[in-house]
Amino acid sequence: MSNINLKFGRNITKDAGAFRLLELPPELCKLVEESTNAKLTIRGQPDEDAVLCTPERTYSLRSVVLSNSVLVVTPTSNPQDVVIRRQIHEILEPVPCLPRLQKLSTLLRGREYDEGHEEDEEIGEDEEGRPVSFKKPRFTYDDARGILQASDFELEKCLKDRRILVLNGCLRPIAPSHLTTVLEILLNALVSLSLSHENAPVEDLAASLQEEHDINRDITRQVMQWFGEVADNLWKMDVEATVREVGIGILRAHRHDSILEPQFLQKWKVAVGDTFESKVDIKLLSGNYLSRMSELGDAPVFELLYFPSSTLPSDPAARFADLFLTRPRWKAEEITPFLADIVVDAKDRDRLLLKHARAITNSEGVWYTTRVQMQ
Amino acid sequence: MIIPINIATSSAGPTLPPQLAKFGTDELVLIELQGSLDVEGEISGQLVGKLDLETDPKKPTLLIGHHLLEGKLQNLAKPLAVMHKNSRESSKPGGEMVQEVDSSSSTEWDIVAVVRRKMVFTKRPMPMVGRVPVTTDTIR
Repeated sequence: MSNINLKFGRNITKDAGAFRLLELPPELCKLVEESTNAKLTIRGQPDEDAVLCTPERTYSLRSVVLSNSVLVVTPTSNPQDVVIRRQIHEILEPVPCLPRLQKLSTLLRGREYDEGHEEDEEIGEDEEGRPVSFKKPRFTYDDARGILQASDFELEKCLKDRRILVLNGCLRPIAPSHLTTVLEILLNALVSLSLSHENAPVEDLAASLQEEHDINRDITRQVMQWFGEVADNLWKMDVEATVREVGIGILRAHRHDSILEPQFLQKWKVAVGDTFESKVDIKLLSGNYLSRMSELGDAPVFELLYFPSSTLPSDPAARFADLFLTRPRWKAEEITPFLADIVVDAKDRDRLLLKHARAITNSEGVWYTTRVQMQ
Repeated sequence: MIIPINIATSSAGPTLPPQLAKFGTDELVLIELQGSLDVEGEISGQLVGKLDLETDPKKPTLLIGHHLLEGKLQNLAKPLAVMHKNSRESSKPGGEMVQEVDSSSSTEWDIVAVVRRKMVFTKRPMPMVGRVPVTTDTIR
């Protein structure tokens, strides 16, 4: 038997013949091998570092330069010849990362949906049935998908988490106060219509809110999906999430003027009604408030200030700077809720704490102070 | 911008000789060289060297010019997906090919193979004296 001839291929230097090597961690390998339609995508703007997205996750791509060269060799129609299609000097290594969704808030600025002025931007049609143009250019779900470096699942989760409505394909963040209103009305409607929060007919509720409070059915439906599960047109309310959101709604008024904890809890209980009164718990609001011992009054009582982690910078260094400006020292259990949304897991959090904060242990437990010298 | 990655690992095209397919897949093999092939001039279609997988299937050799390289099979710690760029040049109804202005919009990548091993030539080349070189003009 004779030797095999190794030849250069035809398009070896042309862009059209480009090859890349992508390292496959086990979970990606499984995805690629098990399905011919794995729906992998590379996402990003030309000026950004590309990311790799599976339907569920996002990976940053690291280029690992090889000192050796790797030849990509494929067969030809002649069994004696094989051709080099490309000489490669780097491998792409996917590293799991957080979806890059920070841009979304900038992109959605000024597109908030609130009651009262919804009519002037309401999707309407003119006499001939054409959609009436908007004041602002539309920013659609597909626009967001094309711009943001996140998997579809993560993007949808983000829309849900950030309470962004999709109205006629356009992304519209719901005004927080309006969301609280809708939820409170929903809770009332459950009672007045004598419906169970375990399985409430979606359409009945949406119709009721439309008739009695002029709330768009589309909005009611989406709010129900955010705060529970909808299956077979029945809504199973996520009690904890709903109660939490109503609590945040009340707390929101106390960004600068603190409120005493007992007084706050009382207001909160009234707002959620008798059925869910027992679910009210200050722990539900972790990551949204600061508490300190009140200096007023005789009895030791905490007072609360609205301090949502969602408004803090997403860059770790900037976030720690903000946190330590707010308070010079933090207890470990107090600071962790304010880091939850910028870390992948507890290990990642500890790494950040190690890097940006100094730990001090005393009889009260672990305290964190800044590493940056304030001058 | 979203660039899709398609999985196109099974094709009905030609397959590699079985003895070579052992070092990769039926359709693709990765050959790693210490250093790189540095060639001047038009290289398209030119002969690089001769692979000998018969003498000792465990020790493939590659003869480039006067130099003999001895290689081995190496399993990869993590599998590698080999991606091939698939830029679709859109053709207009008239049949003429149009280079897209925004070339990115039509770019797709295909995963053409998932490989778990490679053929590695790590040793220094041995000079072959007194033998007729297989190539004369392509390798300098």
